[in-house]
Amino acid sequence: MKTLFSRRNLLMGAAGIAVVAGVGFEASRVLRKRYAPSPYDDLLAKLDDRDGSAQIGEAVLAEVEDFDAKTVAAGLRAKLAQASLADIAAADAAAERLVEAHGWVLPQSVGLLCALAAKAAA
Amino acid sequence: MSAFIDARTVPDGTVLEPDLAIVGGGPAGISIALALANTPLRVVLLESGGMSFDPATQALYNGNKTGVKYLGLEASRMRFLGGSTNIWGGWSRPMDKIDFEERAWMPHSGWPFGLEALAPHYARAQTLCEAGPWLYEKAEHWSQSEMPTVPLGTGGVATRWFQFSKMRGSLLPTHFGERYADDLKKVRNLTTYLHANVTRLGLAPNGGKIEKLDIATLNGRHFSLKPKAVILAAGAVEIARLMLASNDVMPQGVGNANDVVGRYFADHPIPRDIGTVILFDGKLEPYYLTTQTMHGAILRAGLFPSEAYRRSKAMLDSSITIESKTLLDVLGKSTVATTAAALGVDASKAAAFTLGGGCEVTPDPDCRITLDSERDALGVPRVKLAMKLADSDLAHFRATLKELGRQLLASRAGMIRLNMKERGQWLTGLDWGNHHMGTARASIDPKKGVVDANLQVHGVANLFVVGSAVYPTYGAVNPTLSIVAMALRLADHVKGLLK
Repeated sequence: MKTLFSRRNLLMGAAGIAVVAGVGFEASRVLRKRYAPSPYDDLLAKLDDRDGSAQIGEAVLAEVEDFDAKTVAAGLRAKLAQASLADIAAADAAAERLVEAHGWVLPQSVGLLCALAAKAAA
Repeated sequence: MSAFIDARTVPDGTVLEPDLAIVGGGPAGISIALALANTPLRVVLLESGGMSFDPATQALYNGNKTGVKYLGLEASRMRFLGGSTNIWGGWSRPMDKIDFEERAWMPHSGWPFGLEALAPHYARAQTLCEAGPWLYEKAEHWSQSEMPTVPLGTGGVATRWFQFSKMRGSLLPTHFGERYADDLKKVRNLTTYLHANVTRLGLAPNGGKIEKLDIATLNGRHFSLKPKAVILAAGAVEIARLMLASNDVMPQGVGNANDVVGRYFADHPIPRDIGTVILFDGKLEPYYLTTQTMHGAILRAGLFPSEAYRRSKAMLDSSITIESKTLLDVLGKSTVATTAAALGVDASKAAAFTLGGGCEVTPDPDCRITLDSERDALGVPRVKLAMKLADSDLAHFRATLKELGRQLLASRAGMIRLNMKERGQWLTGLDWGNHHMGTARASIDPKKGVVDANLQVHGVANLFVVGSAVYPTYGAVNPTLSIVAMALRLADHVKGLLK
């Protein structure tokens, strides 16, 4: 009785899938939005949506006086070396460290990350 | 049973001599009349209107206003039996202990009595308001499994509950005139006059007591009362008008030796769409959005600043309600997604809701009622209202909303957007609670108040005022329940005084 999948067909199919997967991986790498390198990329990688965050960050920058990106980045790196962003953000709220962006009330760490995203996008 | 008397049929020149005259058939006046049933006192209840709305009677309320955009003076109250309960929303909640205290951060604050003076009367007031079993404090301790509340981190804002008045047969809420008309008619020591307008408080020549009340009707009848005591139980605007307009013996009016009558007028600002609250899991119990019948009462949850928060942060009172589901713009969606992800929370089912609410205002002597040169159909001067609203009061409300947002973030349950910042934003679409307060404020000091701790007008031995007119400060909850409790307290006092 003839089998449904011959050995040759199976090998060809597997090779085809590998090619498609490879092309897909390469395509996503090529198509993924690229950003000009910034001094804060390690921090900005923590953000879910870097473009959206940059928009929020513009509003944060309008509220925060004397924003110094290097100092802010150093402060955030020091905190992130000790705890996760989630814990830092919740702790900010508990300690009343908040910033506003277009009326949105944000944990300070989240707002400052967004502000760095805005600086990086500028 | 004694029928109500139509004052338009009382012969001109009639003089009635009851023990007590109650001026105003709203919730305060009706509550006092019922509380004095079957006492030896002969009581007369005077109501300007009849049993239903009448445009000519309602027009007696007309007045002028300047300053911040405010409701028409004829629009936010009702001049027929039941008074403003004919249009109230039934929202009920007692005041807090802190509301009565002198607070360093609030100028002109401090009542001449505390919550303990009203506490014994709240249960009966709740019954008269038909607001169901007294659940306010108990509800705050319901378990999360029984009555889930919005999870908030430790802080100044907490879920608390409004109860709602209901009329028999589930109509909402209780209209005191319609509801208690038959009960009033059964009170043998009470005579109720409808269509009877008090046009003058007649002071004795030395100004020390009220000797006579002049009554007029819109069909031209005039008669008078010579009561042993008088309780002004009308609204805050009418009480000020009557006291100021009765200036034939004392040029500044009755009880106004220190120029306090009519000052400190206030209402609760009700700005719309003050914020947007996001709940990351999208879950919100229905009793936050609308009334629900539970535990034998009609309830709705609100978000209130705690007493501890108000003290520690020197804040005014406010109440926040969650109003309806709404949609976010692109930036809003992005902000929610970014914040939730940063907090390590899934926001794929997040839901957004608009926020409403009301806030307390700081007593302001320049927010006031004065007499106008125009006169109404009965010859009584109309009023002018100079309405004000301080930016600092709105800033307090905003700070409390921000505190709510902080607590949502701390619990990783949600977040908030504050829609108001500049004065113009607050004033756009600003509504008011229709809670007229403060024009005959209570104080132990005659220089700072019109009535004393017993609600007796300073310097006028037999004249009392009851209602939100006597509020020295205003809290943020709807006043009717407390007005009724205060009226019952005054009834007890007068009962002892006149026996």
